[in-house]
Amino acid sequence: MSDKAKGKMTVFKTDRHEDAAAMVFVSLVVAFVLVYMAYVVPTITIKPSQDGKLVAVAVQPDQEIKKGDVMYTFEYTDKKFVNGQLEEKIATKDVKASTNGKVLSVSVKEGDALKKGKTAILVMDHEKGTLP
Amino acid sequence: MNILLALDDSSRAMEQAVRLASQHQAGLTALFVLDAGWSVYIGSDFLLGSTARSKFLEYTRDDEFAQQHATVETFQKMAQAAGVPCVIKTTTAQRVPEAILAELEQGGYDTLVMGHPFRRGLEVMRDATAQVLKSAACDVLFVSREG
Amino acid sequence: MEEKSRVANILAIVPGLAVMVGTLFLLRTYVEPWMKDAVVLGQKGWLVKVLSLNYILLSIIAGIIYRNVFFGGRIPDWAEAGFRTTRLFIKSGVIMLGSLYTLQKLAKVGSIAILLISTFVFGTVFFVIWYGKRIGMDRSMIGVMGASCGVCGVSAAVATAPGVNAKPSEVALAIATILGFGIMTMFISPFIGKALMMSDYQFGAWVGTGILNSGQVLATCLAFNPTFAPGTAVAYGEIWNVVRVISIPFVVFIVTTWACKSEAAESCDATGQKMDMAKVFKDRFPIFVLGFFGMTALSSLGWLGAEGSNTLHLLRDVMSWIFGIGLVGQGAYIDFRELKRAGGKPLRVGLVAGTLKYVVALIVIMLFVSKDASF
Repeated sequence: MSDKAKGKMTVFKTDRHEDAAAMVFVSLVVAFVLVYMAYVVPTITIKPSQDGKLVAVAVQPDQEIKKGDVMYTFEYTDKKFVNGQLEEKIATKDVKASTNGKVLSVSVKEGDALKKGKTAILVMDHEKGTLP
Repeated sequence: MNILLALDDSSRAMEQAVRLASQHQAGLTALFVLDAGWSVYIGSDFLLGSTARSKFLEYTRDDEFAQQHATVETFQKMAQAAGVPCVIKTTTAQRVPEAILAELEQGGYDTLVMGHPFRRGLEVMRDATAQVLKSAACDVLFVSREG
Repeated sequence: MEEKSRVANILAIVPGLAVMVGTLFLLRTYVEPWMKDAVVLGQKGWLVKVLSLNYILLSIIAGIIYRNVFFGGRIPDWAEAGFRTTRLFIKSGVIMLGSLYTLQKLAKVGSIAILLISTFVFGTVFFVIWYGKRIGMDRSMIGVMGASCGVCGVSAAVATAPGVNAKPSEVALAIATILGFGIMTMFISPFIGKALMMSDYQFGAWVGTGILNSGQVLATCLAFNPTFAPGTAVAYGEIWNVVRVISIPFVVFIVTTWACKSEAAESCDATGQKMDMAKVFKDRFPIFVLGFFGMTALSSLGWLGAEGSNTLHLLRDVMSWIFGIGLVGQGAYIDFRELKRAGGKPLRVGLVAGTLKYVVALIVIMLFVSKDASF
């Protein structure tokens, strides 16, 4: 019964094996994601990280951009707890390029509403070997 | 007549099985099922510290064997004292009632005797008697724990 | 026992795993979007906004339905090997959660977490010892209940039971109590959090302190806010979780030493040897926590991409899938017929200690932990 009981529940011999397997699995997943993003992904679609309104687009199609260059500016509602009270205020944020690359197309214009993770703002090519 | 006694810690069930076998001059088989379901039962939580789970499973296994030893010994003494010959069988299962039903099917028994509530391994958390009653194709005698 | 070939073992995983992945796919692609748009009680998205029925809770509920309704109380043989990968997925998810922090942030919140956790862990252990003695529970079961109510529920119960020589049948009752209580708190906590307008920081700190099982802490945080990002409930809750998991060996040591003290040798470690802290720590330390810190180190070095980058976004998306798959499996290990049988003194102690910890943690967090996030 011992071997049978021990072998059940996990596919692994012991919990230590399972812990190690989880770490190997995560390493593979992370390595896959990093390699895919650095070398394989053909183009990058930049989407907003929160809902808001586009204030300005600082890049144009075919423009080369460098890491740290401002790509667009948007307006959003900043919700923050200050002294226990939820404060909401309109704030603007510059979104900068996280890698060198070239803008392929811009699909929004000033004043457009941005939906978190949904609206495609621009499509760009990135320098291979860097993480976009 | 052929009787199967499903062993747990109920001494009244043992007594009744021995009495029945002696009255009817029947064959008596006692079945002890070791519960191997612990690994699944404790599976709901996942952050067990490394060797803790296998240690616990070894601990439950040792406890199962200790119970098997004690129960079988008690029963054998009882049967010997009454002069009733008996066969002892031991098996391992993820679910105890399934092993009892499998033995009933294979052994061609006429009567099953078991304690009620039935307390073998993780059956303290389940309803073994209901499950057995639903599928048993023979007479079943449930013996209550208190007389 | 006949040894199956390695290939056969791997193939056996496929059907169950396919059910878990398929379920999550359906939930995320069709069910959750439908719930977000559905108008119930005159409010769009009521099911998600008010009932917190996001894909995380739906995954657990789907697992529970599989086990209790479709499978009739037992995971069938064809799916069993696949469902056994549950823990691998959740552990992997926990390791990946390490990427939400940098070492500085971890150090900042970690100290508050250590303070709160140690107060509540040892407070609960002492309460259970006092209360257990009062109602005449035996010493070994007090040890098991103390550890499980104090730290990480089932994990701690299982880690303590052999050392204090607790009866397995009673441990089974204790486990049912802890799980049942945990499931209850898992479903009601998001409501309470929203009703009290708790911030993500407060919510993470509260459930991280008050909920018994570590798995349920994560699920509850994600039910409150399903986003994986720094500053969300799950990011805070997980710091609490990690501190708790690390504290298991210490609690096991203390509880076992207490339970063995003044008891005959039969109630102590089976070998009669004196407990050795170093050995307990080595045996009980969950090494996957090292993977979690490894991810934090990578994130601190900026090797996983900048915050807001597409790379991190993809990584977090993968993380949410890994968790979701694990949670379907997690649900399938919940059997209501078994939970219903919880009873006796473990139930009394579990309910009293669990509720007390849950409520006191809520009061302490609301009074002393500010809504403003630490990072």
